[in-house]
Amino acid sequence: MTFRWERWLFGAVLSALVIFTLFPFYWAIVASFTPDAALFRDPSLWPRTIILDHYRSLFDERDFLTPIRNSLIVAGTTTAFCLTVGTFAAYAMARLEFRGKAAIMAFILAVTMFPQISIVSPLYLLLRSLHLIDTYPGLILPYMTFAMPLTVWILTGSIRQIPRDLEEAAHVDGASRRQSFTRILLPLAVPSLATTAILTFIYCWNEFLFALSFTLGPERQTVPVAIALFRGQYQVPWGQILAAAVIATAPVAAMVLVFQRRIVQGLTAGAVKG
Amino acid sequence: MTRERVIAFFAAATMLLLAACDGGNAKKRGSTLKFSGSGLGAEGRVVSRQIERFMRLNPDIRVELQQTPDDATQRHQLYVQWLNARAGNPDILQLDVVWTAEFAAAGWILPLGRFKPPVADFFPATVEANTWAGELYALPWFVDVGLLYRRTDLVPVEPSNLDELVKQARAAMSRPGGPRYGFVWQGARYEGLITTFVEYLGAFGGRILDERGEVVVNRPEAVRAVTFMRDELYGSRIAPLDVLTWHEEEARFAFQNGNAVFMRNWPYAVEPMSDSASSRVAGKYAVSPMPAAQGGRSTAALGGAQLAINRYSESPAAAYRLIAFITAPEQMIERAQAVGQYPTRSALYDDPRLRAARSIPWDQAKRAIESATPRPVTPIYNEMSEILQIELHRALVRQAEPQEALNSAAKRIDALIERTGMRRLAREAGK
Amino acid sequence: MLVTPALAVIALIAIFPLGWTVWESLHMHELRMPWLGKPFIGLDNYAEIAGDPRFWAALGHTAFFTVVSIALEFLLGLFLALAMNRVFRGRGFVRAAVLVPWAIPTVVAALLWRFMFESQGGIANALLVDVGILDQPIVWFIKTTTAWVPVILADVWKTTPFVALLLLAGLQNIDLTLYEAAAVDGANGWWQLRHITLPLLKPAILVTLIFRTLDGFRVFDLIYVLTGGGPGTSTEPVALYTFNALLQNLRFGYGSALSVVIFAITFGLALLYMKGLGVRLGGEQR
Repeated sequence: MTFRWERWLFGAVLSALVIFTLFPFYWAIVASFTPDAALFRDPSLWPRTIILDHYRSLFDERDFLTPIRNSLIVAGTTTAFCLTVGTFAAYAMARLEFRGKAAIMAFILAVTMFPQISIVSPLYLLLRSLHLIDTYPGLILPYMTFAMPLTVWILTGSIRQIPRDLEEAAHVDGASRRQSFTRILLPLAVPSLATTAILTFIYCWNEFLFALSFTLGPERQTVPVAIALFRGQYQVPWGQILAAAVIATAPVAAMVLVFQRRIVQGLTAGAVKG
Repeated sequence: MTRERVIAFFAAATMLLLAACDGGNAKKRGSTLKFSGSGLGAEGRVVSRQIERFMRLNPDIRVELQQTPDDATQRHQLYVQWLNARAGNPDILQLDVVWTAEFAAAGWILPLGRFKPPVADFFPATVEANTWAGELYALPWFVDVGLLYRRTDLVPVEPSNLDELVKQARAAMSRPGGPRYGFVWQGARYEGLITTFVEYLGAFGGRILDERGEVVVNRPEAVRAVTFMRDELYGSRIAPLDVLTWHEEEARFAFQNGNAVFMRNWPYAVEPMSDSASSRVAGKYAVSPMPAAQGGRSTAALGGAQLAINRYSESPAAAYRLIAFITAPEQMIERAQAVGQYPTRSALYDDPRLRAARSIPWDQAKRAIESATPRPVTPIYNEMSEILQIELHRALVRQAEPQEALNSAAKRIDALIERTGMRRLAREAGK
Repeated sequence: MLVTPALAVIALIAIFPLGWTVWESLHMHELRMPWLGKPFIGLDNYAEIAGDPRFWAALGHTAFFTVVSIALEFLLGLFLALAMNRVFRGRGFVRAAVLVPWAIPTVVAALLWRFMFESQGGIANALLVDVGILDQPIVWFIKTTTAWVPVILADVWKTTPFVALLLLAGLQNIDLTLYEAAAVDGANGWWQLRHITLPLLKPAILVTLIFRTLDGFRVFDLIYVLTGGGPGTSTEPVALYTFNALLQNLRFGYGSALSVVIFAITFGLALLYMKGLGVRLGGEQR
């Protein structure tokens, strides 16, 4: 692409895509600071009056802290658990030779592709009989169904990329498998673990169907459910909805911006190298 | 003693006896009643106050307020879960007006006949809504009713029928500086659409189910009703197409900002729109019952909350005492004063304490409640409503013609009645 | 065995429920109607599905949504991937910018687009009227054709980055010397794209398509929030219909049967793709 017009076209299309990507965020942020009345009377691309009311009422009237706390607890616990259990599995998948490994890997991949809706009914009945509907374990357990295979899949991909030389050297020096795992591989894998944790956390933070199905009230609702149900029978508080959207987006957006490179690697390591 | 007095005496004696047995139990095991209902904000404060008063008057009963979701769908799901598990808690359930038949047919709530509730004091429609197979299953607590809001500065007299409403709306719209919209209502695909529809349907003399529980929603009256609604959207254009995505609040905003001549909404809208700081129509609107069309009668959709007793409750008599207390005139007036919810006892509308309370037009409210019709009282209401919502919405957005959509609704509702064994159930209940 | 705990967890909470779903689907089980009991009815639920026009319509909507959104995402994603594979000023910025929509909750994305397409004061109406494409604001959500616009746009907006990243990873595996050789032979960019890039990108493309097709078939959050399946039920996907049968109407037998059908379709699609892909997904490359 050496011609100038091509270069120009490339730039134009790319800019259009970037604008397309960023505009909704810009617009949501502007709107979340605009009074509701002005919002609908005459939408303006530039903010004219800035108010903080929507954010304030989000916490004063709606107790938006509760869903945030719920989301943090559920996503955090799920991530921690999956990472602990998943690391061993991923290590085995990446380093050990055993029969049926290919089948297991295919199985794990297949499970990540499960349509969630197809296990909602038994999970609901199961949780109901255990009296776990509308509790934290009642969300964490279902979250494992997608978080666990995801963790194993991504971790396996990234552990494979760590060179074996050091571990092999350690073996030659008489280190046991356990030692080579804890002393050598684990420290090397810390960045991969962090990436996997971030990705798993994001998936759990964003999950909607299970959270909608297995919670019953504001006490245990997660952020996405709370936001989606803001539009109650008597209200369409767009200002508050958008303020909540900005708040729900901010942490993941920040993570993505900071760990952009790692996230890209983590996402694609599992998927494409296979 | 006259005969009435003898009956009253025996009734009172039975009550005392029941209460005594039950009270004895409660004391021995220190058991408590759990009352579940909306317990948020001002509403929650009134309920707690009343419950405390009840406990002072009935030291043998302890009552706990159990928080349940405010959203109707979610509360329903929670109740179904508890009752399916045959949990005795909560003892007292707050039901939406369209759930009573379902819970009664499922055997989840107790018939109240044995407690001799003062049925005659309540609005007949609210009693009808809580009656399944000839038995009363819940006592109406407060009532919600569809109202026609009108801009008095543009339309001084209330329309006597639907055609006049259209005329008045068009005249007001065509005035210089007149509102953009003639009539706004709830037309999104949700339960609110059914309440709107029920009012038009009644106005044209139609019904959804007949007295035998057979579906009649594709009769000519119903077709005329839907055709009329469509004509408001596409013919006379007094209703904006936007209403097909609107719930209560969007309609209120339009009306409150001075953009509409008429609005169909619930009583809740009265108070926020009376506040001249945020409302452009404060002091410039009035409410009245929805008008009828030729051949029908003025009809208001009935909403509101009822109280019922859990079938698995261990102390049903105590539970009924609490329900009787909470639905007694004093408590209803207190509730109306505090949160503006309409009492279900018609005599209270002449009570000076009520009339002094708040900016609510009690006379018009009473008139509307007297014209109110319950939505079909059937255990399969929920699924039936879903079918109707879809088919009505299809007709209103012009994906289907009114007759075609209603035929399809009737066919599907009929299949639903068959599948769920409603006919057999009704026969058995009738025995 | 180190794999055992993880596998056990997966099996316990994913495979076991699936078996249970199948079992449920052979019963009539209506939680709202305890008087019906829970009789075993064999394949009756499946027979009902076969004759349920709302299910077939939902299947059609799902397929339509999947095909249209994937086609757009693939074209845009390929362009973005090719772009990000080059060196230019602001590349890091572009990459970060496009990644953000991918990371935010789908519910939030759906709400943002719903807000922009509101009939009253939505920015989409305002812009289109300003530019002169529309004479007056329209109500997007009461016509099937217009209701799909925000749905598809929102999905494209949210998922294109993911597609681009997968393709980019594929691009970075291509040996650069191939291009150099082609350039020496005087081949232009278009020729290089067709004869080098696309053929070598085939595995990445197929993986992307699998991921996205399966995602498309389970679309739920987006439509639940944006249109609720309306107007009527004309944008309702199968997952939303199933959710509705399960959790609104509490028809667990029928809802489970629907779940099994969705699972079977997804599984069939995955198998089909894997066959076409011809790649061992076992990860035995090393």
